[in-house]
Amino acid sequence: MLTDLYQRRALIWAFANRDFATRYRSSVLGWAWSLLQPLATLLVFAVVFSVVFRIVPPPLGADPSRGSYAAFLFTGLVTWNLFNSLIVLSMSQLKSNGELLRKVQFPGWAPIFGASIVQLVQVVLELIVLILMFFWQRNVGWTWILAIPILIAMALFAQGIGLMLSILNARFGDVQYIVVVVLGALYFLTPVIYPMSMVEDTASNLVVFIQANPVAWFVQAMHDVMYSLQAPEWWVVPGLLLLGLVTFIVGLAVFNRNSEDIGELL
Amino acid sequence: MTDIAVSLQHVSKRFIRHVDRRNSLKERIIRGRSRTSEDFWAVKDVNIEIPKGSVYGLIGHNGSGKSTLLKLMAGIYRPTEGKIHTDGRLAALIELGAGFHPDMTGLENIRLNGSILGLSRKEIDDSTQAIIDFSGLREFINDPVKHYSSGMYVRLGFSVAVHMKPDILIVDEVLAVGDEEFQRRCEDHLYSLRRAGKTIIVVSHGMGQLESLCDEISWLEHGQVQETGPATKVIRSYLERVNNQESVRNAEISSDRSEDEGSMRAGSGQIRTRSIALRNVENKPLDHAETGSTTRFAVTLNAKESILGPNVRLAIQHEGGALVTMLNNHRLGTDLGVVDGDFTVFVDLLNTPLLPGRYRIHIDVFDHTGAKLLDNWSDALEFPVRSQRGEIGQGFVELPAQFYLQE
Repeated sequence: MLTDLYQRRALIWAFANRDFATRYRSSVLGWAWSLLQPLATLLVFAVVFSVVFRIVPPPLGADPSRGSYAAFLFTGLVTWNLFNSLIVLSMSQLKSNGELLRKVQFPGWAPIFGASIVQLVQVVLELIVLILMFFWQRNVGWTWILAIPILIAMALFAQGIGLMLSILNARFGDVQYIVVVVLGALYFLTPVIYPMSMVEDTASNLVVFIQANPVAWFVQAMHDVMYSLQAPEWWVVPGLLLLGLVTFIVGLAVFNRNSEDIGELL
Repeated sequence: MTDIAVSLQHVSKRFIRHVDRRNSLKERIIRGRSRTSEDFWAVKDVNIEIPKGSVYGLIGHNGSGKSTLLKLMAGIYRPTEGKIHTDGRLAALIELGAGFHPDMTGLENIRLNGSILGLSRKEIDDSTQAIIDFSGLREFINDPVKHYSSGMYVRLGFSVAVHMKPDILIVDEVLAVGDEEFQRRCEDHLYSLRRAGKTIIVVSHGMGQLESLCDEISWLEHGQVQETGPATKVIRSYLERVNNQESVRNAEISSDRSEDEGSMRAGSGQIRTRSIALRNVENKPLDHAETGSTTRFAVTLNAKESILGPNVRLAIQHEGGALVTMLNNHRLGTDLGVVDGDFTVFVDLLNTPLLPGRYRIHIDVFDHTGAKLLDNWSDALEFPVRSQRGEIGQGFVELPAQFYLQE
């Protein structure tokens, strides 16, 4: 199953290249948008939530006497965006490549992975901005290195779910609308705009729900290693990796089992 | 290794036809599984063996299952029943330029399309030059394809597909693309693939092209194989069927003018032409004439009084306006004798030498001297001429002639 992916790597790259080449082709600023967009979101959120709602950020790992809401928020946003965008992108790929899948025989996951690769590049760009931000805050630590396996696990987890949802969406067109609503709700069940400590203080009955949300696990782990500069419990990172890997393999298996006649569905 | 490139054993393909498409979850949940769906067998129990190195044709009406069968062979569809076995790399030209991205340049699209069709990066690099040359689009190759004309678009698509170096090439109706010159180049390329021992499977409605290209042909009808055999033979029986079906539909070609008795008509009126109909030698009505087989014009007339030896003249005019010939019984030495009341004259056009096209008949009736016009009926009948051999636009008539080498 996984060797198929390797054998058709040229095809996956071709789709990735297509999406790279065409992503911002008709815009003047081009790839600058890939950073302008999240930065604009960050600015709006930071102003709204720290100035208007007065959310207090947790203390920075390097200097517990201060906190940076913008840095805290951006850590969560990068992680959440990775999850959200991989799912939304994957889901639409079969439909947007339907014309092709109806006429040429090739594995349906190829355009999905191609699109995801482009999205991963975007995440790397965001990550660079995040790192610059933390340097500026003088909040640097060895625990950063753990962000790599956590983000890989997050990507695998999101991709696995995305694969399953894409095949479901090919059969039932309403899936994409349901998913958008569910993702919207999930966003607020994830500690992106608020720190976990705040929920524990003010709405402790919500804590169970947040802790049951797998996306929150990834985001919290990222907060730990990037913002608080604390290594999580030893089993957290391997656990997340396992979760990501299992979800990805299950997702791919479900996809393969149901996509043989994809050309007829679209 | 066998010498069969593609073999289909008892292959069937069923489509579920949703009378109301239950594609949204709500409907699935509220009304459960669709009960109003019905099965539709697009392909039913097809057995075909295509030998390596042969050119195999599929013919049939629209909706007879040809394209479904091609998609089954190409692996785009899975058969509901039966087995398909293919031996060798297969390329399917179901639609040219499927997968071109409008915002990407021609060159970028060559690379993308090549990998979708299964070429490795190296193979793409090696053949890019040949693809550009073949397409003849060198100066536009760095422009986005959205600025291409539709002709340029398909030319590029065809060029990519034929340079995949497939062992088996599946071609669906795509030979009719591009201008005359490019079509010829496509055809040449197919011939060279055939010479190189590649297997080609082609669907087309161009019978002449199929006849010259194909070794064997299968004729599909309602998803089933009607006939398989040498190209010439199958095409002949297919065209025969098509022509027969058409004659059943519009039973005969005839004209009647007994109605407009009172209107102004040229001629003395001693004889009036009433009707003309197209028949075969067994007097069965025809809806068209067939090149090479005898056509009968049954002309019914009425004489108001006894008339001695009238001369009936049929002028045959091609739709383009050219007068092909005039036939009259005097010149052919036939005396109709004394006629009175209703009578019918048969004009048999022996082994109809007319070539395919539309023709018009004008009728004039003269007295025995040939000088006095008794009746005139312009545009009495318009009828098509068809041929099982499919020659078109090579003139109006086939003259009796012979070719041979000087001893």
